[in-house]
Amino acid sequence: MGRKITPAKVCTYGALTVWALTTLYPFVWVILNSFRDKGLIRKDSFSIPTPGNGFTMDNYTKAMERFDFGNAYLNSLIVSVSVTIVVVVLAGLAAYGLVRYRFKLRGVCYSLIMAGMMFPVFSTIIPVFRMEAAWGIASSGSRWLSLLAVILPQIAGNLCFATIVLMGFIESVPIELEESAYVDGCHVFQVYFHIIMPAAKSSFATVAIFSFLWSYNDLFTQNFFLRVPREKTITLLLNEISSQAGVDYGLMAASVVLIVIPVLAVYVLLQKHIIKGLTAGAIKG
Amino acid sequence: MKQKKVLALLLAAVMLMGLLAGCGGTSGGSGSGSSGSSAPSSGGQDAGKPAAVELNVVTSYGGDDGHRKDYENAVKGYEEATGNKILDASATSNEEWKAKVLTDFETGTEPDVLFFFTNADAEPIVKAGKVVDIASIRAEYPDYGSNMRDSMLAVASDGKNYAVPSSGFWENMFVNTKVLADCGVAVPGPDYTWDQFLTDCQAIKDKGYTPIACSLFEVPHYWFEFCVMNNGTLANQLDLPASADDAAGQKWVAALNDIKDLYEKGFFPANTLTATDAETVQLFGDGEAAFLIDGSWKVTHFVDNYPEHLEEFAISYVPAKGERKASEAIGGISMGYFITKKAWDDPAKREAAVQFVEHMTSDEVMSTFVTTEVTALKNGASPSGLNALQQSAADANANITGVVGAVQDTVSSECKTDLFGNVQNVVTGAMTAEDAVNSAIALN
Amino acid sequence: MNSSSTLYKKKGPLAVFLIPAFAFLILYLYYPFLQNIVNSFSDITGLGTPAQGLNDPWWSNYAELFRDPHLRTALINTVLLTVCTVVFQVGIALILALLVDSIRVGAQAFRTLYFFPIVISATALGLMFNLIFLFNGGMLNQLLMNLGLISKNIDWKDADHFLPTMLTPVMWQYVGFYFVILVTGLNNISQDLYEAAALDGCVGLAKVRYITLPLLRNVLCTCLVLAITGALKVFDLPWVMFGAGMPQNRGWLTGTYMYHQTFNRGNVDYGSTIAMLIVVLGVVLSNVANRVFKPRNDL
Repeated sequence: MGRKITPAKVCTYGALTVWALTTLYPFVWVILNSFRDKGLIRKDSFSIPTPGNGFTMDNYTKAMERFDFGNAYLNSLIVSVSVTIVVVVLAGLAAYGLVRYRFKLRGVCYSLIMAGMMFPVFSTIIPVFRMEAAWGIASSGSRWLSLLAVILPQIAGNLCFATIVLMGFIESVPIELEESAYVDGCHVFQVYFHIIMPAAKSSFATVAIFSFLWSYNDLFTQNFFLRVPREKTITLLLNEISSQAGVDYGLMAASVVLIVIPVLAVYVLLQKHIIKGLTAGAIKG
Repeated sequence: MKQKKVLALLLAAVMLMGLLAGCGGTSGGSGSGSSGSSAPSSGGQDAGKPAAVELNVVTSYGGDDGHRKDYENAVKGYEEATGNKILDASATSNEEWKAKVLTDFETGTEPDVLFFFTNADAEPIVKAGKVVDIASIRAEYPDYGSNMRDSMLAVASDGKNYAVPSSGFWENMFVNTKVLADCGVAVPGPDYTWDQFLTDCQAIKDKGYTPIACSLFEVPHYWFEFCVMNNGTLANQLDLPASADDAAGQKWVAALNDIKDLYEKGFFPANTLTATDAETVQLFGDGEAAFLIDGSWKVTHFVDNYPEHLEEFAISYVPAKGERKASEAIGGISMGYFITKKAWDDPAKREAAVQFVEHMTSDEVMSTFVTTEVTALKNGASPSGLNALQQSAADANANITGVVGAVQDTVSSECKTDLFGNVQNVVTGAMTAEDAVNSAIALN
Repeated sequence: MNSSSTLYKKKGPLAVFLIPAFAFLILYLYYPFLQNIVNSFSDITGLGTPAQGLNDPWWSNYAELFRDPHLRTALINTVLLTVCTVVFQVGIALILALLVDSIRVGAQAFRTLYFFPIVISATALGLMFNLIFLFNGGMLNQLLMNLGLISKNIDWKDADHFLPTMLTPVMWQYVGFYFVILVTGLNNISQDLYEAAALDGCVGLAKVRYITLPLLRNVLCTCLVLAITGALKVFDLPWVMFGAGMPQNRGWLTGTYMYHQTFNRGNVDYGSTIAMLIVVLGVVLSNVANRVFKPRNDL
């Protein structure tokens, strides 16, 4: 079954490939132009730059010497990893409680979470900033406290989304499994850790990836709390480069590549693990 | 049951708050300690100079500011001379940046030294007593800002001086001489008239070039300022309208209609309503557009980005109409260094902050910032040689017969945003110039 | 769903599940938002300045909502964006997810590729799309010019072209997001069910219709809610590409308009009022979506 080439299969692969091209080509274009002499981008952006025909490493050397990428990567990692871990733990617990328990305030809690997802960060950032300034963690001059000042609101910002998504997934876990575990004498926390988490493992991984990415890419909050060079994250660096570059499109393209490559690498690595975990349980037919 | 849950929730919230606050308090101590030892740059100074101070500084010399490199060099010079460390949080100046700076003062997280606007923008921090006036500083450091002309210091609403002025600015017309030559148009002189300008623009347009490089979406304000002047005089430039009907209002209306006329004649780039400033300046730089009104800060941009083409650019004069002469331009000093009360009251930082401002405004450092701009230095600036474009600016400045500040700097930021946001609607006919002026004035 | 399970009769552990998350939310979302509500009735002239008492009349900002033509534009654009999001984003994502689920060779590669746009920050994407839609020598104009389809540059951001230019990147970016959620949902469907169905002769489209879609219902519903709430506050990509309401105040979205009022014009109180509108609209719309698509659930 499935070894023959059927018209349906050709169509399937055709459609999938077309979409894949739309997601891939823009990046190829950016990568190509990051190696191109800046004057040529607006004239001829499609050819492959070759030595002697507009190829240059200038954009990268310029980006590297002007900005401290290593330190920025470290800051970004500290922030995003912390956010991801806390969000996954807290959202998992909350989603489980909200899905499985029936209690009076359940509807209210659900609506609150839904509303929380709607709050534009622009309207909450100033009260949060004042609060954290009063506690002495925002703008304190200490690098670690400043990073903490970003981590906390980012956790809150991602929590609602993560809870909603995990609720959707946990709802589709058959409740019978939990019942039988309970009959076998499992405590409700054991049920959560031994039945729900493994069953919804890929969902947790998905939420983790999104939390990580959003925290990593969230320019607005980071820009508000992190100001001194040693606190700057990679996203802030990109923002700074783009505001300094003006119309230096080559420098911009190179910076985009420098920022995206590590995330892509992390994603590709993580994805393998997720898929492995998935297929270990059930062999696809 | 329900009450209990609410209570539990509240309790938990309070607990968490306490926890976080406690956390903030304790890790505050250890945090600063660890940052001291782990930050690679501060390790050395701990051993060398025990009295090293960390100063928080905020300026507008970040982003694409033309003086960013000069500023960074000056800061480095200060750090090397004193062993102190500057924690620099500079950014690009815009309304959002101003708001952020003011918010910091409100939450008590202001910097030690601030480089900021000295006009109405600084009033909130002056009124709140968050910055120290120059007279009080001179009581202890008599030489503070003594190399500046006292008459040119900005005066706050309470009559005191707070900021030590930095480099000023001028606004004038840049021309691309290569484009002009190709179109057979002469480089404008100090007697350039509006009618001649319209004729020249038509000739340039017929040759296939864009006459005026300007994004009416992003930066209509240069043209607005000069058009207002063209419909009035140097003396009444700073008069504010109460409505579109009074004399000043009529001036503003006429200015907007002049811009509309240029737009309708097709003298702006085809995408002037959607282009960014960077895009249109590039048109000028690449020799696709002839005229550009911009400020002295743009000179550095061309020096950095078009080093081989500097001879093709020149500083000329904005065409004049009515009573104004083309040799009259916009200029002044709008920013300066403030020392905050917080730094002044901190015995460890007082001296370092004063030293920093004195360093940044010393004759030598100012001379790296000032080439052709207005300056408050008693001795004037002595820049080390001018390039072709700076020379052209200096030549033009020599012919300037009158300078006045920008009227747009005297209105509230909301009024400004509204007015310039509506320029696109006026030129396309979606709104009358009168309505645009009235709408903006209502917000001032 | 069986809610009377004996396992979940004892409510004690519930506190452990809910309190940590809600404590965070109260402190960092609900309390600040409460301030936002107060702000929407107050008179605030600048971002860094405290309120100068209540507005006169106190509801004047809410009355302004109905009079403001730019807000009307923003709402119309946003509704359009929401509809497009639901139809195209979730639609394309669902088709792609089902297709990828049906193949074996290369499924992993497609999954990775489709996720690409999400990985990259909106700032970076905005820069990229600006290069693509650039008037003078952008990728699109270069391409069309090289193919001989146009003789003059097209201004993709002007009044005639701005809608597709604004909507396409937003939609394109998030197809991958819903794709990943849906694929994860598909993976959660027990393989035994498919095997049992196959024994009953249920394959191909019938399998999708009778097994996959009903089982995906919860996840699809989640996607829908996310799409609606997401569309109402879309901000970064349009802001990087279009800035303040380009072209000629016709390109506003609720997200960008609120930001502009708060941060560019210092109109903090009115910005807060728009935020209220966004939240109310979002809660109402997503509840409607829930009612329509999840009739059996009691939420």
